[in-house]
Amino acid sequence: MRYEIRVDGRLSEALIEVFPELDHVTMPGQTLLFGHVVDEAHLYGLLARCQSLGLRILELRQMPE
Amino acid sequence: MTELEGDGPPSTGPVADPQGDPFLHTRFAVPARPVTFLRRERLTRHLDEALRTPLTMVNGAAGAGKTLLVADWAQTRDGPVVAWLTTDAAGQGPGMFWAYLLRALSASGIALPEDIGFPADASRVPPTLPARLAAGLSAREQPVVVVLDEYDRVAAPEIAEQLEFVLHHAGRGLRLVLVTRTEPLLPLHRYRAAGELTEIRGAELAFAPGEAAELLELHGLRLPPAAVRALLERTRGWAAGLRLCALAARQSPDPERYLKEFEVDHSTIADYLLAEVLKRQDDETQDLLLRVSLLDRFRPELADVLTRRSDAGAILARLSRGNAFVEHLGHGQYRLHPLFREILRAHLRMQRPGLEPELHRRAAEWLRRSGSLAEALGHGAAAGDWEFTAGALVDDLAIGQFFTGPRSGAVTELFSRMGQDTTSPAAQLVRAARELSRNGEDGGRAHLHRAERRLADYDGMADGAADRAAAGLSRALLEALAARLAGSPGRAENAARAAGELREAVPDQLLDRHPELTALLLDHLGSARLWAGRFEAAREALSAVAGSEAGATTALPREDSLGRLALIDYLNGWLGRAERTARAALAETERFGLPRPSGSGVERLVLAAVAVERDELEQAQALLDASAEAHPAMRDPVLEAGRALVAARLHLARGNPRAALAAVEPEVPADAASPWAQGQAALVAAAAHLSEGRTETAAALLRRVPDDQAACAVAAARVQLAAGRPAEAVRLLDRAHPERSCGPAVTVRAALVRAQAAHQRGDAAASHRLVARALLEARRERLRRPFHEAGPWIRPLLDTASLRGLTSGWLLPGAAPPDGGPARHAHPPPVVEELSGRERDVLRRLALMMSTEEIAADLYVSVNTVKTHLKSVYRKLSVSRRNEAVRRARELGLL
Repeated sequence: MRYEIRVDGRLSEALIEVFPELDHVTMPGQTLLFGHVVDEAHLYGLLARCQSLGLRILELRQMPE
Repeated sequence: MTELEGDGPPSTGPVADPQGDPFLHTRFAVPARPVTFLRRERLTRHLDEALRTPLTMVNGAAGAGKTLLVADWAQTRDGPVVAWLTTDAAGQGPGMFWAYLLRALSASGIALPEDIGFPADASRVPPTLPARLAAGLSAREQPVVVVLDEYDRVAAPEIAEQLEFVLHHAGRGLRLVLVTRTEPLLPLHRYRAAGELTEIRGAELAFAPGEAAELLELHGLRLPPAAVRALLERTRGWAAGLRLCALAARQSPDPERYLKEFEVDHSTIADYLLAEVLKRQDDETQDLLLRVSLLDRFRPELADVLTRRSDAGAILARLSRGNAFVEHLGHGQYRLHPLFREILRAHLRMQRPGLEPELHRRAAEWLRRSGSLAEALGHGAAAGDWEFTAGALVDDLAIGQFFTGPRSGAVTELFSRMGQDTTSPAAQLVRAARELSRNGEDGGRAHLHRAERRLADYDGMADGAADRAAAGLSRALLEALAARLAGSPGRAENAARAAGELREAVPDQLLDRHPELTALLLDHLGSARLWAGRFEAAREALSAVAGSEAGATTALPREDSLGRLALIDYLNGWLGRAERTARAALAETERFGLPRPSGSGVERLVLAAVAVERDELEQAQALLDASAEAHPAMRDPVLEAGRALVAARLHLARGNPRAALAAVEPEVPADAASPWAQGQAALVAAAAHLSEGRTETAAALLRRVPDDQAACAVAAARVQLAAGRPAEAVRLLDRAHPERSCGPAVTVRAALVRAQAAHQRGDAAASHRLVARALLEARRERLRRPFHEAGPWIRPLLDTASLRGLTSGWLLPGAAPPDGGPARHAHPPPVVEELSGRERDVLRRLALMMSTEEIAADLYVSVNTVKTHLKSVYRKLSVSRRNEAVRRARELGLL
């Protein structure tokens, strides 16, 4: 499964490192994290990581393979 | 039941949680508010609704100000008692949750019902606990407010279910307030629809312009309204954002310009602001904050260990006064705000790569020295320092935690990550413990053999490190367990003797801290003695365990010992006593909420055996099935042999001698032979052969059993009787004299053999007298099986007027009226001759409404053969029609 998570704001390098398994693109005022998600457990884990860091999720979607 | 009454002194509950750690008292403390806290009346007033609705939910993102709102409300409202619990990710199981919740209640002065029970297993809760708690709470006149902070950490859905149950049944006695980042798994819509839910959500928690201005002012920042609005827009009214903003701006030379810059910056707020605030701290403070981000709760001393300085006390005191990200929990403990802790950890990894393992190691060593074993193990494992971690477990004498319920899951999981490259003696002991705790997995004894090799290896490296008493004692425990599992009583005795000597060299307080070690050791010894047939010596060891002080960590060995004491009673023929002891063992599991399977389940096996003796076959089957899943470390030859015996007896009772033979045929693997296991197996096999007419085979089997087993002597006498040698039968009984040492299950059978011998001699009076004696003895124990086994000769006797008084009510379902008047004859006597396997096949098909022809086709036999079987079935069941036969068979549990 491939997913992309769009979060509000530009992530610092330290926070990017919290998602080592994902790629990222920084845009004006947003950061896009994307990559392969192993399963549902992984997906919820990613969301929990966002929450624990106080990140605001703007969009979450599954990408075509 | 005692009511949960008023605000008396905290009851004296257990002082440790199910994982054996002293309770973290800070988790029951209402968090302190920083001096910069701003009370917002609109929220406090809304929260007052919590006293009217059963459920209140305060939810919002991290840093939204949820906890402080509720803490402030709880501390300033006059009125109901508030019990506060900050839930914890470390113990997510229901057992831990409820243990802490009970403690939170008693810490706030709520007296709990005395019979409420206590979870002994971190992952389970006694089923009666929620019901008793709810009943106790519902009797209160004033409700108790229970606040569960950080409820989002509670992941187990069954906790939500149990909470919902308690909430529902506690009625007006409980007001539950959940403070959470995510919506809980409770049926919120239902509470909402019924007007029983108070909700304060993120949008309401967001700061309004006036409130924001006030908050900034509390931080010493006075801004024009336009600047406040802009700031609110950027932070969306997020409390933590505003606070950090104020902290950062205050320290900058030109706060207003600083805030303008912040408004146009596009970084994520928390990270950006934290970095800003951090940057303005001195180097020591920055360094300290980064390092303690590895810890959940901590003391300044531990922070000093991580920084290798001595200024943590002063820095933390200052930080906790001034800002929102360090919280003083009381009792000298601190923690970081969860949100900032996560971000700081990310920064630690970034700025000090490779430092984490070293910090974990230092934390582990300090925690170990200060007696927090569980936390020390966690950090040791996180550091990847397995030599330390294994050493800590062994030196603390905590190796028993691999086996007893409470922490076994956690410890096993922790050490499953230990690689093969750790070669210290302690690591070898830990590996052996892991192997032993997995005994019988994959259907074999491979794990046991591997454990035995590891113990031998350990002995090989026993120089220096191993002569430490704690390690030696741990080794003795594992050796006793290995010996027990291998059925090797001699080795178990040696291990127990070695342990006895080593105990002298171990500090008393260490032994006191780990009562499970002694309990397990004695349980292993007792069970090994039981296997060897040394019942009295076994009883001595097992009774010591059973009589030891009840506690969460010893619940498992206590249950197992009681179960095995019950087995000894059963083997001696004392059914009533066996049943009582087995029920006590079951009560132990219920009281502490041990999982099924917890121990060996040997008590269920005993109850199944008792049920067979009483001809309650359905129940016996259910109990036998329930005992199938035993704790791997308790799956020893005693259990295996016991299970085979009970299964075989059940087959016999159901008229299935072949299956009975097959059940006892495979020899239970063990290093030493067990006289009773062999004797009982021979006894069952002989009975099976006898029922199929192979009298001589049966006699030969029993001749091989040593004379001292009374039960076998009685069986041998019965075989002699069947072979037409009544005098020999009586001689055997006179010699064995079972009445001297055995209970009714043996003596009733002996009396019946004598009665049958008398019957064969034609001595009707003696026969009658002996049957009467047997009935008198059997009635107390509802011991029905021997009369069913006795054969058709006894039937007319039981139906005689003089004996009906002894049989009615328990052996004959058609009871005589209690006034002793004439018995009703509507019910035929229940004593039936055993049905053969084929007859049962036919009967079962009869019950399915199959015709004679269909049955014949189904069984591949002729119609005539089916008719013959049917006639025979009718005769044995004393019926004359199909539907009667089916009904009788159901009554007798034959179907």
